[in-house]
Amino acid sequence: MEAIITDKLSKVYPSGKKAVDGVELTISKGQIFGFLGPNGAGKTTTVKLLSGMLKPTEGRCSVLGIDPAAHPEQVHALSGVVTERAQMYDQLTGIQNLVFYGTVFGLTGKESEKRALKLLDTLSLTDAKNQKLAAYSTGMRQRLSLARALIHEPKVLFLDEPTSGLDPESGHSVNELIKALARDKRTTIFLCTHQLRYAQEICTDYGLIDEGRLLSTGSLEALRAQVSSGMTVTIKADHIPDGLSFRRGEDGCCEIGVQSEAEIPAIVKRIVDSGGAVYHVSARKPSLEEIYFTLIERRKEGGASQ
Amino acid sequence: MIRSMQAALIKKDLRAVTDNKRTLTVLFIVPLMMTVVLPSIFIFAMGASSKDSGDLQNLLALLPAGARIGSLSQMMAHLLLNNILPLFFLIIPVMVASVSAGSSFVGEKEKRTLETLLYSPLNLRQIFSAKVLASFILSMMVSLISFVLMLLVVEIETRLALGFFMAPGINWLVLLPLVSPAVALIAIILIVRGSAKAQTVEEAQQKSVMLILPVVLLASVQFSGIMLIGPWALLGLGAALAVVALLALRGSVGKFQYETLLK
Repeated sequence: MEAIITDKLSKVYPSGKKAVDGVELTISKGQIFGFLGPNGAGKTTTVKLLSGMLKPTEGRCSVLGIDPAAHPEQVHALSGVVTERAQMYDQLTGIQNLVFYGTVFGLTGKESEKRALKLLDTLSLTDAKNQKLAAYSTGMRQRLSLARALIHEPKVLFLDEPTSGLDPESGHSVNELIKALARDKRTTIFLCTHQLRYAQEICTDYGLIDEGRLLSTGSLEALRAQVSSGMTVTIKADHIPDGLSFRRGEDGCCEIGVQSEAEIPAIVKRIVDSGGAVYHVSARKPSLEEIYFTLIERRKEGGASQ
Repeated sequence: MIRSMQAALIKKDLRAVTDNKRTLTVLFIVPLMMTVVLPSIFIFAMGASSKDSGDLQNLLALLPAGARIGSLSQMMAHLLLNNILPLFFLIIPVMVASVSAGSSFVGEKEKRTLETLLYSPLNLRQIFSAKVLASFILSMMVSLISFVLMLLVVEIETRLALGFFMAPGINWLVLLPLVSPAVALIAIILIVRGSAKAQTVEEAQQKSVMLILPVVLLASVQFSGIMLIGPWALLGLGAALAVVALLALRGSVGKFQYETLLK
C-alpha cells in the first residue's frame, strides 16, 4: 500500500482562488518527498487537504488508505503535522506541552514524559525543557513543534518549512532526525519547502508545484532526464582554444555543456594541446533549482503558445 | 481512551484559566462583588434606610404569606437573601462561563494553538464537548464557592447587624442546580458560536455579556416592587432556559468544521 495518493486533487477557495489544481501524486512508505514551490504555490493547501483540514473541491486523496476528508481523526492518529501556523501553549513549559499532546494522542502521562524527554534530548532542547514556551526562540519553537508532531510516533509526517528560522547546527540535527525516521522507521515524510537546495540535501523524491499545478514528480535523476540529458563541465584554464564553445562562469572559469563524462578527457586534452594550463576541472549535473526554473519556463512558454 | 484524551484537554483548559493572572483576577473580583460587597451594602442600607419607603413597602407586600413573618428586618433580610441576591448571583455563572469559554475557544484561535489541537485524533465533536465541559465545570465550581461565601457573609452580617440567622429559601434550590447551569451553558454556547467569526477574546465575550442585561432587568423589576420572582416563576424560567441551552448545544456541535475554524 502506498503512503499517500492524490487523484486529480483540486481546491478552490470561496474567494474563487484555485489553490490546488488537479494534483496527482503517489508517495511510497519511507520516502522523503519534497513538495517544492514558491510561496502561494499550493503546498500548504495540499497539506491541509491531506490532513483533512480542508475538503477537496474535486478529486480525492488518501493517507495510508484513509480518506482524510471522511475520517480526519483517523489520519491524525497516524500522522504528525508541523506548520508555521500550528503553535503550542506559551504558558506551559516545553515538557508540559509535549506531555499534554502525548496524552491527547492517547498515551499515558508516564509514556508521554518518557518519549518527550527522549525527543527533547534528540533535538537538543533538554536544557530548556522546564522553560515556558514564551521564553523559547523561533528555532527552539520550531524544534519543539517537530518533537510534538513525533510524540505519538506517526507513520506519516507532514512538514511545512521545517527548517525556517533554524540556525545551521539545529537545521542539521533536524535533517538527521528526518533521515533517520525515514530510514529506520519507514516513516513517510511529506516535506514542503521553497528552499530547493535544502530539499536536494534531504529528499529522495520530489514534486514541483507552481500556481497550484504540479510541474513534475520523480527522483532527481528522473527530473534531470526530463529537462536535460547532459551536464556542465567547469574548467579553469589560462587559455581556451578557438572553436571550443563555452560560457564565462564565476571566478574566471568557463562552463561547457556536455552529454556525458566521457567527453571531458577530450576537452581537457584539447586545451592542453593548444598550450593552455588547466587548474581545475569539475562536472556538475543540473541542480534541483535549475530543473525547477527550466520547468517553470517551459510551462510559461507552453501557456503563452496556447 | 477517548475519555482520558478529553480529560487531558479539560485539565489543560482549566489550567490555562488559573495560570492567567488577568483572567483569574476577573474570576475573583466579580464573585467577590456579588457575594461580599453587594450583600454587605444591602444589609447596611437595610439598617440605615427608612422603613416607610414606598417601594420597599410595595416589595414586602409581594412576599408570600409564609415569608411575611417576624419583624420587618427579618422580612427585609428574607427578601434580600431569597429574592434579590439570586438574580445578581446569576451574573457569576454568566461571567465565569464567558471568560473561560472565550479563553478556551477564541483564545486558542487567537494564539494559533487551535490548529495544533485540530491535528489530534479527537474529532471536532469531542474537542467541542471537552471545551464546553471545561468552561461549564469552572463556572459551576466558582458559582458553588461563591454561594457558600455569600451565605457565610449574609449570615454573619445579619447576625451582627440585625441579631438573627437566616435560612436560604427554596429559590436557591431551583437556582443552583437548574437556572445557574442553564445560563452558564447558554453563555458558553454564545461564545462558542461567535468564536468561528470572532478574532479576539473580547469580541466574542461582548455577545454573552448581553445575557447579563435580562438579569439586571429582572432585578430592577423586583426593586421597583412590580413583581417578585418566586420559586415557581424561577422554576419555569430555569426549565425554559435549560431547554434553550440543550437545543442550542445540540445545534452548535454540527456547525463546527475545520475549514471555518481555521479561517
